[in-house]
Amino acid sequence: MIFVVAQLVWLSLLGLWIYWYVYNYIVFEKVGDQVSPQVTYDITNVAPFVLGLILLIGLSFTTAVIFRNLNVQIRLTKLYDNFIGNVTHELKSPLSSIQLHLETLKTRKVPTDKQDEFINLMMKDAHRLRNLIDSILGLLAVEQKRFLHDHEVCDAGTTLKQLINDSTEQFRLTSGECNIEIKSTSEIVIDKNSMKIVFDNLVDNAIKYSVNDVKINIKVSSNTKKVTIDFTDNGIGLPHKEQKKIFNKFHRIYNPDIPSVKGTGLGLYWVKEIIRNHGGKISVYSEGTGKGSRFTIELPAYKASENRFANKLLKKSREQKQKITTDA
Amino acid sequence: MPDVHQIKKKILLVEDEESLAIGLEYNLTEEGYKTDWAKDGREALKLIGDNRYDLIILDIMLPYVNGFEIAAKVRETDPQIPVLMLTARTSAGDRVKGLESGADDYITKPFHLRELMLRIKGMLKRKEWYKDVTSVSPVYTFGKNEINFENLKCKNGKEEFTLTPHEAMVLKYLIDSKDRIVSRKELIEKVWDMNPEVETRTVDNFIVRLRKYFEPDPSNPVFIKSIRGAGYMFSENPD
Repeated sequence: MIFVVAQLVWLSLLGLWIYWYVYNYIVFEKVGDQVSPQVTYDITNVAPFVLGLILLIGLSFTTAVIFRNLNVQIRLTKLYDNFIGNVTHELKSPLSSIQLHLETLKTRKVPTDKQDEFINLMMKDAHRLRNLIDSILGLLAVEQKRFLHDHEVCDAGTTLKQLINDSTEQFRLTSGECNIEIKSTSEIVIDKNSMKIVFDNLVDNAIKYSVNDVKINIKVSSNTKKVTIDFTDNGIGLPHKEQKKIFNKFHRIYNPDIPSVKGTGLGLYWVKEIIRNHGGKISVYSEGTGKGSRFTIELPAYKASENRFANKLLKKSREQKQKITTDA
Repeated sequence: MPDVHQIKKKILLVEDEESLAIGLEYNLTEEGYKTDWAKDGREALKLIGDNRYDLIILDIMLPYVNGFEIAAKVRETDPQIPVLMLTARTSAGDRVKGLESGADDYITKPFHLRELMLRIKGMLKRKEWYKDVTSVSPVYTFGKNEINFENLKCKNGKEEFTLTPHEAMVLKYLIDSKDRIVSRKELIEKVWDMNPEVETRTVDNFIVRLRKYFEPDPSNPVFIKSIRGAGYMFSENPD
């Protein structure tokens, strides 16, 4: 706010100065003409004026740029603070639960059935902690491009089906809750582990953001150029203005219908980064809140002769594997 | 050990983390308390409306209605019920906000089971003490001030207002120790039950607030006097 005011004040001062200069210039010219008509106006005086003007315009332009950057910076800091708050909560909650159960088991005579219940709860909490830590570290590796490349050529249909099945099984979805349709004959170059993370995140989100029973439809299709994965859920959907933002780092949407959903705002950003590392694209479409969402992933189809990006990924994977075997 | 001769104290546990709530509920029941568990803010408010609790354990990040709002709502109707905030938030701002919204005590996650149980016990004990000492004569007057220690409503000749439970406890303690010097340490011991998160500065803040309420001229106190290097002293008849 203070910056906007400062900017306005400074621009109006500039305007005032230009007005004053031009006004004086005209007066001087008139007076000069009357007083001594023989004195001609020296044209070189215009040069410093124009230069000064350029300098001032340059200055105001840079101020504007600095101002814009500062704004972006402030927004990022806010997002980051939010993220720290969320992560703190997500780390401390399971940790305090584990500590509480351990102290309970240590200090009280807990009956066996209760003991089992506590141990199961602790394992669930430990799993939650592991997932959070994995996602933070995994994302860091993807961002810094320091992950292990393990790209290989595979048949899009069978591989993607296998990966999706693994994900849905892990989240204990039945075949009624998740329908997969494969119409693809293309080959793609993918890193199966990373791609599994993509599906895990999408399935997890679909479950977390559903008020009613979960229903997921996945369609894999292809043409000569690309393989398209359409991932549709019947979750709470997205308002239009949020659809572009949800892939941003730390971005989270608060929905009053499902206020208990917790997260870090990293999942979909991670997904986007993985897809980008595969030379693909991801986008989302939703008719609006309450109307489900459709995520569309496009991956380049592999044709050995033309696809330079895929070949580069494959080469990198081979090199890394070779290095590992020679090191071993 | 649970005391079988005593009527079971009723505690409301407001916590959305299921596994933590299950563990806490088990421990509270083992300690001899009757425990209700609310999973979110809405449920908590409904339970508070329908029941009488002796103590509320309150998480801050809750679905629908957050802990600060719940504490404030509780204070509107019941100024005396002890509220213990239990939360992952550790910033000083959050602590102040929690205490200001009406919580009596604040404990951060992860916590030690024994410490939590002792705090709960202490809070219930202080509530009993307060009830005992105020039940005989709930209304107390000095100068132009009138304080009802039961519903915490006060008049100071100019306006009517309500004290927070802690303000009332500090004042009550000072009045009970009339014409005797009470040190800050003593106040922390008796009123805050030696909570390590309460500093002597907090005591001073409470005194400043009490003076603002009851002194004709807060910068020149006549009822609650500072005794340099020793503490505070309440005297009813200013000389």
